[in-house]
Amino acid sequence: MSVQIDATLRETFRALADVLIPSAEGMPAASEVGVHEAALDRILSLRPDLAERFFRGLRAAVGQAPAAIARKLNQEDPEALSAIGLAAAASYYMQPRVRALIGYPGQENRPADPDETPEYIANGMLRQVTDRGPIYRPTPGR
Amino acid sequence: MSSTSRGDVAGALIIGAGASGAVAARHLAEAGVRVVCLEQGPRVDNGEFYGDKPEWELMAQKRWHPNPNVRDLENDYPCETSESDVNPLMYNAVGGSTILYAAHWQRFMPSDFRVRSLDGVADDWPFTYEDLEPFYDQMDIEMGVSGLGGDPAYPPGKAPPLPPLPIGKIGMKAAEGMNRLGWHWWPGPNAIPSRPYGGRNQCVRRGTCLTGCPERAKASTDHTHWPAALQAGAKLITGARVREITVDEHGLASGAIYIDRNGRERRQWADVVIVCCNGIGTPRLLLLSRSRRFPNGLANSSGLVGCNLMMHPYAAVTGSFDEPLESWLGPAGQTIQSMQFYETDAGRGFVRGAKWQVMPSGGPLGMRAAYGGKPLEEAWGANLHRTTRKVFGRSFEWGIIAEDLPEPSNRIVLDPTLTDSDGIPAPKIIYRNSENTHRLIAFHLERAKEAMQAAGAVEMSVTPLMRDCGWHLMGTARMGNDPGTSVVDEWGQAHDVPNLYIYDGSVFVTSSGFNPTGTIAAIALRSVKHLIAQRANQKVAA
Repeated sequence: MSVQIDATLRETFRALADVLIPSAEGMPAASEVGVHEAALDRILSLRPDLAERFFRGLRAAVGQAPAAIARKLNQEDPEALSAIGLAAAASYYMQPRVRALIGYPGQENRPADPDETPEYIANGMLRQVTDRGPIYRPTPGR
Repeated sequence: MSSTSRGDVAGALIIGAGASGAVAARHLAEAGVRVVCLEQGPRVDNGEFYGDKPEWELMAQKRWHPNPNVRDLENDYPCETSESDVNPLMYNAVGGSTILYAAHWQRFMPSDFRVRSLDGVADDWPFTYEDLEPFYDQMDIEMGVSGLGGDPAYPPGKAPPLPPLPIGKIGMKAAEGMNRLGWHWWPGPNAIPSRPYGGRNQCVRRGTCLTGCPERAKASTDHTHWPAALQAGAKLITGARVREITVDEHGLASGAIYIDRNGRERRQWADVVIVCCNGIGTPRLLLLSRSRRFPNGLANSSGLVGCNLMMHPYAAVTGSFDEPLESWLGPAGQTIQSMQFYETDAGRGFVRGAKWQVMPSGGPLGMRAAYGGKPLEEAWGANLHRTTRKVFGRSFEWGIIAEDLPEPSNRIVLDPTLTDSDGIPAPKIIYRNSENTHRLIAFHLERAKEAMQAAGAVEMSVTPLMRDCGWHLMGTARMGNDPGTSVVDEWGQAHDVPNLYIYDGSVFVTSSGFNPTGTIAAIALRSVKHLIAQRANQKVAA
């Protein structure tokens, strides 16, 4: 499903996203990594269920001071702000630059060698558990 | 209504293609029985999952969410939950909830089958751990379980067929804490292959098991059992939503009426009907199947169909550490588990206990879920970056699966107004945690905090009850020897209808504190082998 967002609303989203995800603590602001660009269209197409709340919040924010309207939405229409925030955060944390900065490679393909002796066996950690003996209650009469 | 002729009668009609239905279908078909299975959901292709795509966490919150009320797909049915402490979780498709489960492949402990004898509560099961053990062993092989033998929480027995999956840095960190306290832990058994197995691939540790395995590694029954069942001649009809099990004039099950995805009502005749729709879907269908002979629902002379719902309240302590732990790395799946406080200790002020488990904590977006409703400056802004830096990749949780005891007041009924997309009444869940459960959770949370502290956590947060935790749906058509106090016998055969069987978690007498799918599958296997052995004596509709 294609969800269209016009230039005014896209700009409103950009400004709100920068309030929610600002440049701080060594991390870039949302707009610096383009959360309002193609990634936003992709998110809205994958999650059409967000559209009603997302656009409701943006329409209320058009022409308003971004920080003030973000606070107001958080109090008066948290569902709308939540949809805007989810779109912003999802887009932000999908960006390779952001992932690199937080040390996240994504859900990676990193199979383990099944024949390798686990560290907890090699170093005796598990032995401490087995040395204490059984901890179950047997079936009565067995 | 479109109807098959009596010449099209199935030897066994299975309703539901999930864990128990798949086990039954495969073994019946391989024994030469003409199997037809009706499944309301579709087949799922592993390419549909998002675990190997950047949008994984975004889609986990909707399309692949385990709560059917959130997913809101046509093949789901809604559940009315306004009177429930917990939301039921499931998936409706070929493979059922194994599509989205975490594949913690657990056995119950011996005491779980003898809670009345040992603890004076609930009821004993009609069989013992030792009776079920050979079927646990066989299911380990059929599913391809990875794990390590010798766990002192169990009687000596066979090791799983595959070596354990790695426990990662989070498992090691948790285990170090447990060793400092002298508490039990063990590498968790998972129905996730540590090497290629049975046509499935080796786990690559993406850690996205709960939203479907894109690697075709995790043991979901669409892969472990359905190919063999179909090869042996079983017929699987998807998009088939059953609205009623029919009976003949002698009170024997004669088949089922279902609605296909074109909205047409169809009928399937059968000699034997096996219901495998989970602990909510099964009582829903039995209650829907009212007739002059069975005015209170099918197989419900005891009045217990729908009663004694158990869903395993889930609590957690999350700890963050001052070192990177790669806590997004799978399996998810469990890394380690503990049964240190599983057995009853009278001095604690409650009976029974809980299994603990360590799982990965996912990506950065999922971490945000707990911030809804908080002040803007706390949830967002510079604090977002500070929190992410402090917690992301450096935290794990000790999850606590609390054993809830059967109580008739916790139950499934038919909702008077809510329906599914075919207009069939939806289930209403009435479920409240008992005082025993509250005390149990409070005790375990305190111990889990100690475990987290011993592991070196620098910060902790506590989740006393997770609302979206009702994966384990049990007890709503319980088994027993007395038709007055149970719905089915130890073989899943309905006391009231001798050619009607139930094989899913509905038949559980108690819930244990364990993930139940391993036991559901073992019981289904034990039951279906008995049915096959006794088929010459099986009563069928005329």
